[in-house]
Amino acid sequence: MSATTVHGHAAHAEHEHHDLGFIRTYVFSTDHKMIAKQFLFMGLFMLIIGGALALVVRWQLAWPETPVPGLGMILTETGGVIEPSHYNMAFTMHATIMIFFVVMPILAGAFGNFLIPLQIGARDMAFPTLNMLSFWTTFPAALIMIAGFFVPGGHAAAGWTSYTPLSSVAQYTGVNWGQNLWCISLFVMGVGSMMGSINYITTIINMRAPGMSLFRMPLALWSLFITAILLLLALPVLTSAAAMLLFDRTLGTNWFNPSQGGEPLLWQHLFWYFGHPEVYILILPAMGIASEILPVFCRKPIFGYHAMAFSMIGIAFLSWIVYGHHMFVSGMNPMLGLTFTITTMIIAVPSAIKTFNWLGTLWGGRITFPPPMLFALGFVSMFVIGGLSGIFMASTPVDIYIQDTYFIVAHIHYVVFGGSIMGAFAAIYFWFPKMFGRMTNNALGHVHFWLTIVAFNVTFFPMHIIGVGGQMRRIYNPMQYEFLQHQQHWNVIMTVGALVLGFSQILFAINFLMSIASGKKAPANPWNANTLEWLAESPPPHLNWGPRIPTVYRGPYEYSSPEGPEDWLPQDRLVVASSS
Amino acid sequence: MTTERARPNYVAVWVWLVVLMIAGVLASYLPFAKSAVIFLVFVIAAMKALLVALYYMHLKFESRLIYAMAIVPVVLVIGLTFLLFPDLVFHH
Amino acid sequence: METTAATRAVTHILPGKVGVWWFLASEVMLFGGLIGSFIVSRLGSSGWSGEAAHLSVPVAAINTLVLLTSSMTMVMAFGAVEKGDPRGLRTYLFLTVLLGLTFLGIKAYEYSSEVAAGFTPVTGLFWSFYYTMTGLHALHVLAGIITNLALFVMARRGLRNQHRVELAGLYWHFVDIVWIFLFPLLYLT
Repeated sequence: MSATTVHGHAAHAEHEHHDLGFIRTYVFSTDHKMIAKQFLFMGLFMLIIGGALALVVRWQLAWPETPVPGLGMILTETGGVIEPSHYNMAFTMHATIMIFFVVMPILAGAFGNFLIPLQIGARDMAFPTLNMLSFWTTFPAALIMIAGFFVPGGHAAAGWTSYTPLSSVAQYTGVNWGQNLWCISLFVMGVGSMMGSINYITTIINMRAPGMSLFRMPLALWSLFITAILLLLALPVLTSAAAMLLFDRTLGTNWFNPSQGGEPLLWQHLFWYFGHPEVYILILPAMGIASEILPVFCRKPIFGYHAMAFSMIGIAFLSWIVYGHHMFVSGMNPMLGLTFTITTMIIAVPSAIKTFNWLGTLWGGRITFPPPMLFALGFVSMFVIGGLSGIFMASTPVDIYIQDTYFIVAHIHYVVFGGSIMGAFAAIYFWFPKMFGRMTNNALGHVHFWLTIVAFNVTFFPMHIIGVGGQMRRIYNPMQYEFLQHQQHWNVIMTVGALVLGFSQILFAINFLMSIASGKKAPANPWNANTLEWLAESPPPHLNWGPRIPTVYRGPYEYSSPEGPEDWLPQDRLVVASSS
Repeated sequence: MTTERARPNYVAVWVWLVVLMIAGVLASYLPFAKSAVIFLVFVIAAMKALLVALYYMHLKFESRLIYAMAIVPVVLVIGLTFLLFPDLVFHH
Repeated sequence: METTAATRAVTHILPGKVGVWWFLASEVMLFGGLIGSFIVSRLGSSGWSGEAAHLSVPVAAINTLVLLTSSMTMVMAFGAVEKGDPRGLRTYLFLTVLLGLTFLGIKAYEYSSEVAAGFTPVTGLFWSFYYTMTGLHALHVLAGIITNLALFVMARRGLRNQHRVELAGLYWHFVDIVWIFLFPLLYLT
């Protein structure tokens, strides 16, 4: 029906690979692999911007009101010293960019697009043109977001959570068009994401290769499937809330204005109804990726495949009814406090199940430690720390003390950086050979990992300490508070860690770019892995497979299986004695 | 690619929709308690929506997967509305 | 031999249909967020029935009738396509577009008379909700009209697009369902 079905004159697939010209091959491509790379490059570029903003924040916290190197040219009136208004903009945009334009495009956009058709044995997505549109909607959204830096009044400065009435009344922040562009950009990004979601869900439901039942799908696909469903259902709520905010700001409506009968808390409810599923959107793909990588480098099946799949489903269901834990101190009805404490404690259970299963996978395995495995292990360990701090915060009385302190910031970064970004690095190193047909430099990868994980912990672990010690979130100058001055040395240590962390990523950039240009040519299956994408060439040609798509005979994790001679058994290999 | 299926009587459904609409308008003028009237009007609206969904959108004849896709967001919206009650209705 | 997505659809549901239903799910969340907020704001405040009294129930009731009828003509268009009746298809698509335009016309009339009476989106919270919800709905009606018009043009050229009629129909019925809820919520309570 769809005009965009991929026709399979597969026999001439390679010759027919019609000379589409530069624009339709590299710019407006409908090939899921090219679109994946577009999302990846966009995300990695935005990572530089988001990271730079973080360093600005960290500099101000460690050495308040001293000139920031390099900013003298931009902040000419102050000679490079950050003012409170700039500071607010920095932490707001750091988070906004990282969440919406780094983690989501890399994990869901790039790896969703790349892996889904390959791992299910399809030639492309269900709706390739829609896929192209989804990137070309997300990219303008990123441009709109960047534009906000250049408007008078500067960019949004009310936190990435944009609570009203701070965000709905222009005088409170002094920001005018920046906040409006923030709303518009997220609206456009939402449309792009939803297009992608519809594609992912339809493709996984409908286009699996013969023999690939749902429970023979790799867990990365399960995670991307569930993530897409959450995205589809959660983003529209943000869209309606952002529209109400935009109208309050520009038209003079009063949804969030208490003096005119509005309710500021409505924003928080709507935002977090979206926001909590959103954080699971950020972490689930990374969990799926870890579940892919660990078995390969332990040469063992994933421990508890069904439990892994069902726990992700459980997380998805529960994610809708825990959001109030972001609002324990908002002044909401105390009845809700108890409810959300209970549900939040419950949602820890599926995540714990997954953690134990990853440990079970490692137990007794023949483990090797190339960079993808290092980052996957980094993901598991850092995510556990982040998850544990979450358990503290789930309890309302505890949260009343630590909410809006650096304890929360620690939690956020352990799960989003230690979790999602480590997962993203793991994925990049793991699937780089397939994506680009080249191997990355192993030594650089190792150095990158160790520098990252050490610097990461130096930067973020002390946040637990200063948070409990009382340092509030989003404040401009901790030295202004007498009760914080004794722990200021931690801020300095953390900033040094952050600088090392930031600059270590240069190694990654060098490795990434150089390997694309001149890395060793990659074989089809450098890791001896089972899933279908490793059957295709590196990189796969247009339409992925040759004349015949694979047929699947078993699940994806048959490593060290007695059925085969090697310690891996691809999903499509027919074993004569017994076919599962 | 459409399947052979019993085709509902679209005109009959339309008649019912119009009847229900008129009933809803009249119900809003009933001299009962406000909340009872609101409840009644809402129920009528839900019945109309079900008619359109089941018969015009053929939900009655579709697979369970499609039915699930239709139901889940409705449940989520109802959930969101109820979660908003304590703060926006029962101003504590 | 690998052919189109249709014949390989594991669930035997055409991908377009799966896609459209998921899209409608997201639209439910979009309107649902606004509708839910309206319901609780309405219940939590007082005196909104006073504001709502300034809306014209008869006009909106007529509009509701128009939209309900357009839903019927849309599904009749689909029925015509299933029966292989190209003339019926064109007729019913045309009627649906016409009715859709009528709906928008009546809505425009309503808006202009309300604005003339001094009720704009900033007059009060009720009016903010009213204009936003019906405005968003009207935009969706417009998108549907354009889609149906495109189908009508394609039908006149004799293209076989029965499946697209079904998908466009799903969207159009959804837009109708949203109005089925907006009408009583805004006008009748």
